[in-house]
Parts: sequence; C-alpha cells; structure tokens
Amino acid sequence: MKQSIKYALGLSGMAALLVTLVAADHIDAPSSAGTSADIADFYAFEPSEGSDNTVFVVDLQSNVLPDLAYGTFDEDVLTEINIDLDGDLIEDQVIQAIARNGRMYFFGPTAPEQTGLTSMVYTDTPLGDVEISSSMAIVETTDAGVSLFAGPRQDPFFFDFFQFNAVISPELDSAPGGFLPAGEAIDTFDGANTMSIVVEIPNGMLGTPTATNALGLSVYKTWVTTNRKQ
Amino acid sequence: MKLRYFTSVFLIATLVGCNDDDNSPYMYDDMMDDDMMSVDFSGTYSQEDHLGRPGINTTLSYDMDGQPSIKDAHNMTIPSEMTAMFQAGFQARLEQYHDVYALKLGLDPADVNYENNILGLDAATLTTVLSADVLEVAPDLPTTYFDPGTDFDNDGRILVPDGDEVALTGRRPSDDIIDVSLILFFGGMEGDRFSGQDLDDDGVADLPRLTSDGVSLTADISTTFPYLGAPE
Repeated sequence: MKQSIKYALGLSGMAALLVTLVAADHIDAPSSAGTSADIADFYAFEPSEGSDNTVFVVDLQSNVLPDLAYGTFDEDVLTEINIDLDGDLIEDQVIQAIARNGRMYFFGPTAPEQTGLTSMVYTDTPLGDVEISSSMAIVETTDAGVSLFAGPRQDPFFFDFFQFNAVISPELDSAPGGFLPAGEAIDTFDGANTMSIVVEIPNGMLGTPTATNALGLSVYKTWVTTNRKQ
Repeated sequence: MKLRYFTSVFLIATLVGCNDDDNSPYMYDDMMDDDMMSVDFSGTYSQEDHLGRPGINTTLSYDMDGQPSIKDAHNMTIPSEMTAMFQAGFQARLEQYHDVYALKLGLDPADVNYENNILGLDAATLTTVLSADVLEVAPDLPTTYFDPGTDFDNDGRILVPDGDEVALTGRRPSDDIIDVSLILFFGGMEGDRFSGQDLDDDGVADLPRLTSDGVSLTADISTTFPYLGAPE
C-alpha cells in the first residue's frame, strides 16, 4: 500500500452530476456554502527556495457567484490551521485566527488541549495581530519573524467551472467533446475576490515532522477548519 | 466592561490605520496590541468546514435527494476517520464519471472504466489516498504540487516515478490543480487517455477532452508576502 500511494495528489476535477457547485472547496457542501465560515481554498508552500519558513494561505468566502457571502470576517468564526507532525492525522499543533474590532488576532502554534471538532481560543499563546486590510495590504511582522495578513485579495483559483458542469452532466448532448481548448475556455474565477488569511512562519516554531509523504519526504500534514462560536 | 475594551481597541486600530496611510505599496503596521488579552475570546467553537487537498469533498462526495448530505458529513469528520467513512463512495463516484462518457460516446458503460493512472494507482488506492483529506507540505524542500508536463526520466512518458522526484511538497497559488486532477482521473497510464484525439485523422476529435480544462492562472500573485494580488 505504501509503495502504491506514490504521489498522493490533490484532486479537484469532478463534481456531483446533478448539482451545481464550485471547486476547489468553494461552496462544497450545503450547510457551509455561502456562509461566513465557508472555506474557499487552502495553500501551503515554501515562500522561496531554501527558505526556513512555511506560508499558509486560507481563503474564506468568495464572490465568484453574485449571491455568495463575501466581504467581512465573521467574529464568531475561528479559523484553525491544523498541523500533524507524526502522520497519525491528528493535529499536534494549531495556529488560530479570529477577528475582533477590525483586527485579526493569531494564536499558537500550540498543542491543542482538545483535538477534533470542538475548539477554544488559546489565549495563553498569542502569536500576534494585524489590522484587517482593505484594498491595500497591511502587513505585521512579529519579533519572532512571523508575518501576518488578513483582508480581501484576488481569488487565485482558476477553473472553467461552467464547462465543467456541462462535462459532468449526464445529458447525452451536453459537452460530448469534453472541455474546451485553451483560448476558448474561460476561467470562471477571473475577477473573483476572497477573504484571505496569510501566515508565514519559521519552521522552527512548528516542530520537526516525522511524517512522510508517499515519496518518503518529510512533510507536515495540514488542513484548515472553520469553527463557529456556540 | 467588555464593550469598553472593544471600543478602545477599535479606536486605536483606526488611528494606526490612518497613520500608516502612505504611498508605499504596503503599509506596515508596527503596533502590537498591548491590550490584546483584554479582548474577549471566550467560548466554545464547533467545526463547520474542513479543507485539506483542494476539491476532494467537492468532487468525490455525492449527495442524493432525500439522503443525509455526505458533503456536510465530510466537513464534520476528523481526518483520521475519513478513509473508513468515505473511500468506498469516492471510488463509486470515480467510476460513475466514466459511465457518463461511455454513454456520450455511445458505448456500454461496462466497457469504459477507470484505468490505472500515470502513477500506477488503481481506483481503490487512489481514492484511499484522497479520502484522507490533508495537504502535505515539506518544511525543507521546494514546493512542487505536481508538474504534469515533466518527463522526469526522459523515457518519453510523463510522470513516471523513478525514485528521485520531489513532489507532494505543498501547493502554490499558481499550481494547476484542476488539470493534475483530471489527468489522474481520466488520463490513464500515459496521462492522455481522453485528450481530444482525432483517431481517424479527419480533423474532428473522436475522443473527449477530459485531461485539461484549458485555463491557466488569471489572478495577480506576488513573490512577496502576502503573495496574493490586491482585490479587483
């Protein structure tokens, strides 16, 4: 099994046959779609070759379709970046972000007192805070070398979503030729914006992973959740 | 009491915002909020949404009328329990997509099935991998989601692992995750199984184009923090 899961990849191609939806995670499920807690997308990368930092980007909401909630961070929504170091798919570190009065407050990375579906804000481990930007980016860099950002940005996801819906339609005369060639295809997300939270953090603050990917390379296994105040 | 703290923090934030309003492309906010701990963060928070690899729940969970939503269930499941809950449904979904195109091509759905992809993964293994919805990122290696155009070992085929690849090390905003995904679903072992081929050379495609959606990055991105372009 381990050998055969080489290149475990992100998938984003297909969707339900009869429902309308938007990838990557934009509007992925009926209960979260269009809400202030809807996660549109998630990125994790090395900012430049040889860097000792990792960048996490969380995109909440999107205005790719006109009726979607978009424009402000909900103070009742706690965003958590989960980091599994040992490969058991249970978070060992969490970085939290939550908005208060025009600022985004960040906490962690810290080992959560409780893993899973219920959270609290770990106020004992403040990471920093930054004014929520409007169109011009306001950036905070902490003494620990952590960069923080929160505000509207262009949604970088690209996908010919409307042709995709035609492709997966079971109607026999719906896109029998499949997708359109470059030049005819249209990026549905061209011009869309999203509410972004960006954290660039020294790897030393996250810990050294013992988890490996399918190629045997050391990796953090990460995911993002949104959590609403009860 | 709490309201007073809220108000003071808001006023400070507003003033700083004005002070930082210069002509530089970025405004640096040097104020660490000394009053941070007086802001109210109390309470319990319950999970509403989840995302690891882009599009997994969107594409492979399937909700049926009158049944509890699988997509909602996916967003409320912890990653360590996802494979047990969702792999079988994902695999059925993958096969169903092939049935759709069998019918559009006038073929028997029993004859048009998922074929092992460029990584050699069969449908069960691929959906097992994908059902644990996490994004892997390497702390000490360049980020490579996947480059579907690279012939790593110069054997004329793309994406045939030969042991020294660096891949699965994260996701950048510029990565074409849709095309990679389509290739893994529909590309077969050569990555081009359904790519709009003109088999009889009459100038008309005889097979559907399913391995690329034909679009590339249109948004502005940056090589410096926060890496994403200003809103449009």
